[in-house]
Amino acid sequence: MTLLQTPVAPEKRSQARDEGKLEKATARRNRRTYLALLLPGLLGLLVSFVFPLAYMVRMSFNQGSPDGVIVETFTLDTYIQPLTDPYYWRVTLDTFQMGVTVGILCVLVSYPVALFLARSTSKWRGLLIAIAIAPLLTSAVVRTYGWMVILGTNGLINSSLDGLGLIDTPLKLTNNMTGVAIGLVEIFMPYAILAMISGFGRLSPQLEEAAGSLGASKFKVFTRVTLPLCLPGLLTAFLLVFVLSISTFITPRLLGGGSVQVLATEIYDQTTGLLNWPFAAALSVILLVLFGLIIAVYQRLTKKIGG
Amino acid sequence: MTESKLSIVDLTKRYAAGLEPAVDRLNMEVEEGHLVALLGPSGCGKTTTLRMVAGLMDPTAGSIVVDGKEITHTPVNKRGMGMVFQSYALFPHMNVEQNVAFGLEMRQVPKAEQKARVAAALDMVQLGHLSKRQTKELSGGQQQRIALARALVVEPTLLLLDEPLSNLDAKLRETMRTEIRSIQQRTRATTLFVTHDQDEALDMADRIAVMNGGLIEQFGSPTEVYERPRTHFVANFIGQANFLTARVCTEAGRANLAGESYYKVDVEGLGQFGAIGTAGLSGSTHELVIRPHRLSVSLQPGAAQAPLAGTIERVSYTGDALSVAVRVGGQQLQAQMLTSSGDLPRVGDAAYLSWAPDDAYILPTPAVPERAAAA
Repeated sequence: MTLLQTPVAPEKRSQARDEGKLEKATARRNRRTYLALLLPGLLGLLVSFVFPLAYMVRMSFNQGSPDGVIVETFTLDTYIQPLTDPYYWRVTLDTFQMGVTVGILCVLVSYPVALFLARSTSKWRGLLIAIAIAPLLTSAVVRTYGWMVILGTNGLINSSLDGLGLIDTPLKLTNNMTGVAIGLVEIFMPYAILAMISGFGRLSPQLEEAAGSLGASKFKVFTRVTLPLCLPGLLTAFLLVFVLSISTFITPRLLGGGSVQVLATEIYDQTTGLLNWPFAAALSVILLVLFGLIIAVYQRLTKKIGG
Repeated sequence: MTESKLSIVDLTKRYAAGLEPAVDRLNMEVEEGHLVALLGPSGCGKTTTLRMVAGLMDPTAGSIVVDGKEITHTPVNKRGMGMVFQSYALFPHMNVEQNVAFGLEMRQVPKAEQKARVAAALDMVQLGHLSKRQTKELSGGQQQRIALARALVVEPTLLLLDEPLSNLDAKLRETMRTEIRSIQQRTRATTLFVTHDQDEALDMADRIAVMNGGLIEQFGSPTEVYERPRTHFVANFIGQANFLTARVCTEAGRANLAGESYYKVDVEGLGQFGAIGTAGLSGSTHELVIRPHRLSVSLQPGAAQAPLAGTIERVSYTGDALSVAVRVGGQQLQAQMLTSSGDLPRVGDAAYLSWAPDDAYILPTPAVPERAAAA
């Protein structure tokens, strides 16, 4: 250390020490300021997020009963039942399958729109994006009812096809998974489009031009440059739609007409219908674990493709 | 004359009907192995021209011929050109090697050959050791070299460079200038180079096309465009220049084998001087171009014949150069002096200017008062 080798006047040395002390004190004060600034937000999170979550986890270990009485205890029965009963395996699997199907379909139909919007240099771009996400202005309930009108037995599609003489018996498009999937795909498109547009940051027209100038046909430019660069955006959109799908309740309930049972509708039934809160809480925890798994896989994937 | 590598015939680009064309009936012949700089201010149509040659943009009219084959409407991926973009446009999801191999892969070159050619191309730009790196880990200069290697590895019919140096810092730009030029000369790749930097163009190019308002104002070697500018724009854009409007009086004899003559010219308010210009200019009014370093400045009324007396209005000293602005009559002329350890001239000092007839060039185009881009 130079300080030890070169003689320094004692008063100077103490000054240096003071400065060091001062710096540390300032750093400490700064840290305290940051903590103070963070506190309101942390408190808010604690009250509105951490506490309810902890309460739910605790609730899941309680004992429920058919008359709605919750017995404070610590039991794993609420978990053993769904994990051993094939019905709940079915529901969980259906939920997962619905999430994946809706996620994939939604990404497929949203991708062209998002790609167009992301590349557009038109002065109408802002307006077009606004139109693409405008459906968010109406509630999912209203849009679900809209789909019931269109997809129903005497709905727009069936009556049109019937009128054209293409079908004899109406297609079954509601009260089943098909209807739920169609509805969910449309309802989540705006989210998917937004997620994609923000995820296409690495895409640039110059990269596609460079690929073209190096001899790539339009198809090759798409498969070798455009699509790989879109992948992070597509994955994000898929994850978002997947998470929204498996946690949504209104559309599966209304378009499913009671014949589509997913975790969200099951939790709703257990909570409000059967008043079995511990069991509903256990199902919620299972759903949460499912989310967690998917997000872990997603992060692995994005790291791999360098998003 | 040998068949030219690239011929551009009446090439026109109009972005929208009714708008001024971005490129207006442009004609150019590029010889094999030459590096041609398209030089001009922004919006002069140089990049538009390059993009039309590359096939990234459709011309409104005219044709582009490479090696005697018309390619005006050939799609970009069938033209076999190598392009280096201003932003380098390296593929971010591929490593260095994959980037360079991309063009070969598209041409379905066998894997083993690809490997050898990529290695050779990377060695050429001295980055062989970085082949496995991700592109984002590279510095600007390295990305530039990779982009160059990627364009050259396919042995392009033409190498197209779109302001390749503008994203580099000043020091690196000089190095890359020399390096690009030497690689270009080694590979004998016929090259079109878009730039707005006159130094770059003068330093690197075999021919310079000075562009303005969608037109080529002059197409010639660096010395031609600097020493014998055809228009006011060219003289003004390349290097510094003093302009004097003069009436060309009598021809005073042939000056050189190029058919140029010496003239006596009459500069209003300043007197009669000698100048040089193309034959047959007598009797009309033209502009004289005198480069600042060709004006000799003396602080004493020396022996030079008929020196112009004036006052120093501004002195700018940058160590190895000393430039002064001298007010003579109604004009301010820029001149350069040699720096010496002696006293610097001061503002207000008297200065005496003179020039040799060879140093005052008469622009061949007649002077138009406030010339508004004579189309």
